[in-house]
Amino acid sequence: MLTLAAKPITRGIAQGEAMVTRMAISFTGGLDPETGIIREPGHELYGQCVAGKILVFPCGKGSTTGSWQYYAAFKKGNAPKGIINQTAEGVVAVSAIITGTPMVHQLEKDPFDCIENGDFVRIDADKGFVEIMKQQEIKNQDDQVSSLC
Amino acid sequence: MELTTQQKYMLEGSDGNGVRRAMEILMAYGKCYDAKRLIPVVSVHIAGNFPVLLDEGIDWLESFAEGGTRVRVFTTKNPEMYDPEQADDMNIPASYRKRQGRIHDVLKKLGVTLTYSCQHYLVGNVPRFGDHIAWASSGSQVFANSVIGARSNRDGDHVALAAAVTGVIPEWGLHIGKNRKADLLVDLSALNLDVYGPEDYKALGWSLGKKVGTHIPAFVNLPSDLDIERIKGLLYTLTVTGAPGMVHLVGITPEAPTIEAAFGTTASKPQVLTVSQAEVDKAYGEISSSTNDKVDLVIFGCPQCSIQEVQEIVGLLDRKRINPDTKLWICTSRWVKTLCERMGLLKILTNSGVRVVSDVGAADGPHLYLRDQGVRVIAVNSARASYYAHNLFGMETWFGSTKECVLSAISGRWEGRKC
Repeated sequence: MLTLAAKPITRGIAQGEAMVTRMAISFTGGLDPETGIIREPGHELYGQCVAGKILVFPCGKGSTTGSWQYYAAFKKGNAPKGIINQTAEGVVAVSAIITGTPMVHQLEKDPFDCIENGDFVRIDADKGFVEIMKQQEIKNQDDQVSSLC
Repeated sequence: MELTTQQKYMLEGSDGNGVRRAMEILMAYGKCYDAKRLIPVVSVHIAGNFPVLLDEGIDWLESFAEGGTRVRVFTTKNPEMYDPEQADDMNIPASYRKRQGRIHDVLKKLGVTLTYSCQHYLVGNVPRFGDHIAWASSGSQVFANSVIGARSNRDGDHVALAAAVTGVIPEWGLHIGKNRKADLLVDLSALNLDVYGPEDYKALGWSLGKKVGTHIPAFVNLPSDLDIERIKGLLYTLTVTGAPGMVHLVGITPEAPTIEAAFGTTASKPQVLTVSQAEVDKAYGEISSSTNDKVDLVIFGCPQCSIQEVQEIVGLLDRKRINPDTKLWICTSRWVKTLCERMGLLKILTNSGVRVVSDVGAADGPHLYLRDQGVRVIAVNSARASYYAHNLFGMETWFGSTKECVLSAISGRWEGRKC
C-alpha cells in the first residue's frame, strides 16, 4: 500500500474504487447529473458512471455553473464519493465544498504515476493523505482471506 | 485566515443564515488556496439558469435567501431560459415558467440586478483596471482579467454568490499581482492570422484550451488590429476546453504591453506551445457534431449578440427571407433588443422571418424546450454554444462563420465547412 501526502480542499474521509482520467472535466456538459455518466464526446471516461467512485482527474474546466450541476448530481446520488485533482481550480473546489465531498489535491507525487483504474483508494481529507492499494494487493488480500476460510 | 470583527460576526450568523453559509463557503475556499484574508469586491456576476440549476439548485438558492439575505455589492445575472415577453408565442411549457419564476423571485429577493445578460459589461457592470471582482461565467471572467485588467479568479457560481452577500472574497490567485504573470508562451507564427475570422479564433481557442489547462498563456504576434469579436472568440472558447483564468494578449492586455511585462522579470524560460493549421482544422471537425444537412434552427448569441453583431446579420440577410422550414434566432440582452427596435432593425429582421429573443443565450436555456418542439439540428457561430447545446441537450450542431450560418438559414441546409 502506498501513502501519499496531499493538500485537503474539504474535510472528511472517503474510500472506494478509483476512476482515473488524464483529461479535465467540465461538470456542466461533461457530467450528466441524472445518471452520473460522463457525456462529453471524445472524453476518456465517455459513457462511464462516476457515481460512488474516487474520481481522479487533473483539474476542472469549462462553465463556472459546474457547481450547480455537481450539486444536483450529488443530491440525486450520482456524484463521486471523493475527488483527487492534480491542482484544483475554483469550480471543482466549491463543488466539493457545498456537497461536503472529501477532496484533496497537490499530492506529493503525480497521481497519474501512482493511481490506476480499479485501485482501492482512501482519501483522508482531515489529515491530508491518500492511501492507494493496487488491484493485485486487493486480490492477494482476498486470496489470504479465502484461504483462511 | 485573519478576519475583521465584522467578518467574524458574519461567520457567527449575526447577519442571518444565508450570510453565515456564504462565509463558511468563503472560509473553506480560502483555506484551499492558503488565502490570508478576505478582501472587498466591487462587482459580482452570477451565472446559472434552470437547465443547470435543476430543481435541486433552485431549492439551494431559496434556502440561501431565507431570512432576508441580500447582496452587498452590485451583482448582475447571466441569461435565463426564455424571453418572458414571448413566452406565449413560443409555447413555453408551464412547468418551465414556474421554475424560471422561482429563480427570478429569489434573485429579486436577494437584490440582484436582473440584467439576464452574459455581456454584463455591455449593460452596466463595468469594473475598472485593478478592481477586485467576483465574476462567475467563465468567458466573461477571463475577459475581465485579460481585456479590462480587473481581478477575478475562476470562481464557481456558489463562490460568486457568497461574495455577493458578504461583499468579500478570499485573497488568492489572480487577486495578487505576482500571480497574474504568464507561464506559457503561445507561438502562433505557423498560422496566417491575417485571414482569420472570429470563427477561426474560436476553432483556435478550442484546440489550444486542451493544452492550456489552468495555465496563464501569453499570445504573441497577434495582429495589432485584432478586434473585440475575435478576442471574445478566442477567450470564450479557451474556457470551454480549458480553464485559464487569465490570458495575456501581448499588446492588448493592459498588464502585458510587452512580452517581458507578461512574464515578469524573474520567470525562467517558459514552455512554448505551438499550434498548426492542421490542428485548427481538426478542431472544426470536433466542434461540429451533426452529419445531417437539414438545419432546423440557426441560433446566434453565445455570448449574447452585441448590436454590432446584429447589424452584421442584418447586412448578411440583405432583406432575404429565411427558409420556411428553418428558424433563425438572435439571442441578446433586452437592451440590445430595445436598440434594434429603435433603429428599425427588429422590423427588418421580423420581415425576414427572424426572431430576436432577449434574456437568453444560445448555449443552454432555450434548447430544453426547443428539443421538445422538434428542433434537432442547429447551426451556430459559437463553439461554446455547440459544446453545451450538444452535451447538455443532445442537439446535433454545425459550427461555422456568421455568414455560413445566415446562408444556411436562407437555404435551410448547412452551407458551411464539413470536416
